Amino acid sequence: MKKKTFSYGFAVSAIVIIVAWAALAAALIPLWAAVTIFVIAFPLLVLFLTLWWRAPGGEEDIPFIGY
Amino acid sequence: MIEYLVFAAVFGLLLLGLHRKVIARIQTRPGPPIWQEILHALKFSFKSTWVPRTASATLYVGIVLIGIGIWSAAFFVVFAGESILILFAIYMLHKVVEHGFGLSSGSPYGKFGGVRSVISAASEIPLFVTIAAIYLLTGSLILRDITAYQGVHGPLLFIAPPFAIAMFLVILSKMPYGPFSIVESKELVSGYKTEHFGVWRAGLAVTEGLKTFVLLYAFVAIFIGAVPFWAALVIMTVVLISLSFVCAITPMLSPYDSVTIQGLITGLMLVYTGYLWWVIP
Repeated sequence: MKKKTFSYGFAVSAIVIIVAWAALAAALIPLWAAVTIFVIAFPLLVLFLTLWWRAPGGEEDIPFIGY
Repeated sequence: MIEYLVFAAVFGLLLLGLHRKVIARIQTRPGPPIWQEILHALKFSFKSTWVPRTASATLYVGIVLIGIGIWSAAFFVVFAGESILILFAIYMLHKVVEHGFGLSSGSPYGKFGGVRSVISAASEIPLFVTIAAIYLLTGSLILRDITAYQGVHGPLLFIAPPFAIAMFLVILSKMPYGPFSIVESKELVSGYKTEHFGVWRAGLAVTEGLKTFVLLYAFVAIFIGAVPFWAALVIMTVVLISLSFVCAITPMLSPYDSVTIQGLITGLMLVYTGYLWWVIP
């Protein structure tokens, strides 16, 4: 996948978490709903963030070809 | 809430770094700096990343998301004082995650690690006895009720120390470099983690950080009771150092011996639970 895809993924997961966090703070959504969103979005945020800042620029190593 | 989750992951990694440091100092080695596991997570996140040709791509990537997801859920369960039955259901799901990590890559080392994770399911049996005994004593499996019970009667650590020891052993079985760490022993390179590298390994590090935090925090809540958050962090650190001592002075057991010892512990716990059932009116 390309850096652009990871950027979108990171942005969407971050926005979802921030919106859920703000909505919980403003008592617009119940705790269980916010927690459900965090549990789904947080792993995506972690992976998209790390994939985004190491997205390939054409200089990656030769892939391991398997066993 | 999300800020607590991030804190838990970072503090958990810090605890794992402290774990390595304590083991090293006991073995008269300098050891890595305490923040080494945080550096590891960052280091892996900057490494080249791809999916091996032998891997099942969906499972290989998806299992990282599931690993972080289940321990995030476990964190919220403990933090909100909900049922420990949910917490330990998630603990059992971690077994599936270990298995998934091992089998998804196509690596023989990973597969052996995954198979050993099934064998080491024996380490969960003392947990079932502990849960049953906690219900027997407190009449509830809701963490809020258990801490309230301890507010009246005192910490369960002093009321029923064998169960605290049983849970201590359960956490020990999940600690790296411990006597029961057969899923990632060195003859399997890194066991089920072997072929997850780069960003996937960074995700695994976040899982490990959350898992360590949640298990130690749950231990404090279940056996010490309601304490201020800073005090919980201090007690968690003390418990972790005691785990590190055990890991430092105990050789890793063979899979057979590991299962045998955990089976014996379960037997002792059952006898003690039966005794409590007999004497409690």
